[in-house]
Amino acid sequence: MATPSSPAPPLLALSAVTKRFPGVVALDAVDLTVLAGRVHALVGENGAGKSTLLKIVAGAERPDAGTVALDGTTVSFAAPREALSAGITVMYQELSLVPQLGADANIFLGMEPGRHGLLDRRRAAASAREALRALGAQFDPSTPAGELSVAEQQLVELARALARDARLIALDEPTAALSHVEASRLFEQIRGLCARGIAVVFVSHRLEEVRRIADEITVLRDGRRVFSGAAAEIDDAGLIRQMVGRDVEYARLGAARPVAGDPALEVRALGRRGRFSDVSLSVRRGEIVGLAGLVGAGRTDVARCIAGADPVHAGTMSLHGAPYRPATPREAIARGVVYLPEDRKTQGLVLGMSVRENVTLASLAAFSRRGVIRPRAEREAASRQTRAVELRPPEIEREAGTLSGGNQQKVVLAKWLLADADVLIFDEPTRGVDVAAKSELHQLIRGLADAGKAVLVISSELPEVLALADRIVVMREGTVAGELAAAGATAEGILALALPASHAA
Amino acid sequence: MTAPRAARFGVPLALAGLVVVAGVLIPGFMSRANLTTILLHVSINGIIALGCTFVIITAGIDLSVGSVVGLAGVLAAATLTSGEVLRLVGPGLAAVLAGLVGIGAGAAVGVLNGSVVARLGVAPFIVTLATMTAARGAARLVTGGVPIGFPDPGDPLYARKIAALDALHTVGGGRIPVIGLPSGFPVPALVMLALVAAGAFVLVRTRFGRHVYAVGGNEEASRLSGVAVGRIKLGTYAISGACAGLAAVLLVGQLRSGGPDAGMLYELNAIAAAVIGGTSLFGGVGTAWGALTGALLIGVLNNGLDLLGVQSFWQEIAKGVIILLAVLFDVWMKRADARRRARAVRI
Repeated sequence: MATPSSPAPPLLALSAVTKRFPGVVALDAVDLTVLAGRVHALVGENGAGKSTLLKIVAGAERPDAGTVALDGTTVSFAAPREALSAGITVMYQELSLVPQLGADANIFLGMEPGRHGLLDRRRAAASAREALRALGAQFDPSTPAGELSVAEQQLVELARALARDARLIALDEPTAALSHVEASRLFEQIRGLCARGIAVVFVSHRLEEVRRIADEITVLRDGRRVFSGAAAEIDDAGLIRQMVGRDVEYARLGAARPVAGDPALEVRALGRRGRFSDVSLSVRRGEIVGLAGLVGAGRTDVARCIAGADPVHAGTMSLHGAPYRPATPREAIARGVVYLPEDRKTQGLVLGMSVRENVTLASLAAFSRRGVIRPRAEREAASRQTRAVELRPPEIEREAGTLSGGNQQKVVLAKWLLADADVLIFDEPTRGVDVAAKSELHQLIRGLADAGKAVLVISSELPEVLALADRIVVMREGTVAGELAAAGATAEGILALALPASHAA
Repeated sequence: MTAPRAARFGVPLALAGLVVVAGVLIPGFMSRANLTTILLHVSINGIIALGCTFVIITAGIDLSVGSVVGLAGVLAAATLTSGEVLRLVGPGLAAVLAGLVGIGAGAAVGVLNGSVVARLGVAPFIVTLATMTAARGAARLVTGGVPIGFPDPGDPLYARKIAALDALHTVGGGRIPVIGLPSGFPVPALVMLALVAAGAFVLVRTRFGRHVYAVGGNEEASRLSGVAVGRIKLGTYAISGACAGLAAVLLVGQLRSGGPDAGMLYELNAIAAAVIGGTSLFGGVGTAWGALTGALLIGVLNNGLDLLGVQSFWQEIAKGVIILLAVLFDVWMKRADARRRARAVRI
């Protein structure tokens, strides 16, 4: 650790912090030292463990092992409230303001000044005004938070942190929704906070920003700390290498090969207001196209539009050469285009229903006569498909909610195989799935392509994209940044396209 | 997915227990005459509760059914005693026509509810609160606030109108002779039992029924699976309205009159019956038989307390307690479900 010699213990010190979730080790013996008055950048790919680390700092999650020390004293936060009163504030990407309340009321939410439960509104308003003015805010403090811009809302959150005498402020991707000018202003504020002796933890994907603001940098990868040191010690190429270089590599399934033939699905200059624009890509029969990019790059939005789940505002699509523009998922499914959502629990499955009922949900018409379900036909079809995807245990009457992540994904897949899908869009197909089930799912997906289906796989795991895809389309900030043939592609090459080179929003 | 195991057996067991206790404690409770009376009293609520169950399984709610009973009732009664109708057709056909008008009016309100809920995405509570208010107003408007029924003795069509009212009474108040039952089996109870059986079939065996559960269990997953979520919701509100309309027709037949204030607060009894019967207000869970069991439980309780001479005020309190217990049970089951899932994951 490149800790500058200082007489006092560090403001915050995590040592050997470990956090496990079912099937995945989110943090593996991570150390982190944050000093007062310094900006510490936390970087890493999606799923590297940054969010979990922030949650532990904020007291929203408790570590399974390891210690958190504040000023050299070990602490154990049971709830975010305890971390707050210890002077730790975490600003998440989804800001936590009450939109109907004024900026001033939000600042004092939960710690309103007053006596005997009566609000001292005048005093609250005055202190809020002062706190906001100190941060250079231009707007009226009584403006409802919902009417403020994201940058202004961030100021309100910062003012709230200051009003609570915060000593450490952690910001999770704070510039994601800011313009260039707003981001610059935020950096000035962060500098100002440091000058007051406040420690700042800054999470960002944008290496240029990290360069600009960070004193120290810690890189996480697969839940482990792979680098920590002064910003000057490492260059951009080194950072990227640290972020992607992994121990886990998936076996390439079948040679990455250019697939000939006419595209099954073709998307031209597709756009959806506020989400993505000018996205063009195509998927051929028998081909797996990987859609890579950072979280928030618009990949899921593109997938949902293709699957008819969200409306499209610009561009055209065609399916097997015929025009295609589904208004609902129902229309897309009728044309054989299906979407396997990232969040299987909230979008993929009816958890309270049995495996059988989930598997046949999209194709009940085939197992009913005049609207009446034929139980035997339904059971047989469900058994057949669950066997095809190797569901374990192969019990079709088991409630879907009691299955593991990998098996839930198999149930969703079985549903679409039964519905005769021929264009399948997988959104993070192996998120929350253990390693063994992952390679099984990879084989299933490869098998689909080999059987002539057109497959689009969204994945934030670069090794997964590299192992599966025949061709890789990379998205960045709502548009296509480039396309790579899988044969020569490297994780570094993908990441170079996916990372915003400079702040140009 | 029907209902959690405990709800599937718990409520029928509670009902059976209540019947046994009442039978032991209350003289006359177990008499055939009393048991058929309970069935008759339960039938209107049971039919409305059955319709509401469809809506509640989709995680919706229908507050308009009580007012629909009023509106559909006065429209049916007006048709039945209308001079124009009775000059054209006989009393029997007029009764059939009145029945269709009542059921149709109920279904129409239901379609209106369903359209606004499904197409405009307004919360079902608000939509059906609005139609509840409006339908009651419409019923009063149609009748000028007074019941439609018995003709004036001087009415030139007096005999025909009485005949028509009698014709509908054979359904609403009639009894089918059954050996061993001196006064026969009440027709409305028969209608209720037939409808519950039909409702159970629709929910368990048809595509529509499966989609009703799916929409209530996870609307977004259903939509992404190609379920026509809007149409399914519309269907459930139409069923709920039609059931309320049919209940209104039976009530008019029974009373030989349709009053604009009929069915007041029936929506609460119906929702209570559904919830007591194991239908979850969170959606995705519920059965047709549950609606029947819930309605019977309320009916047995009321009847037993009546026979014991307990003040009606106490009866209301008792019913309130039971509703609360049923809802607590629902919440508790949901938590147990979540715990069970958390434990069972990773199999």
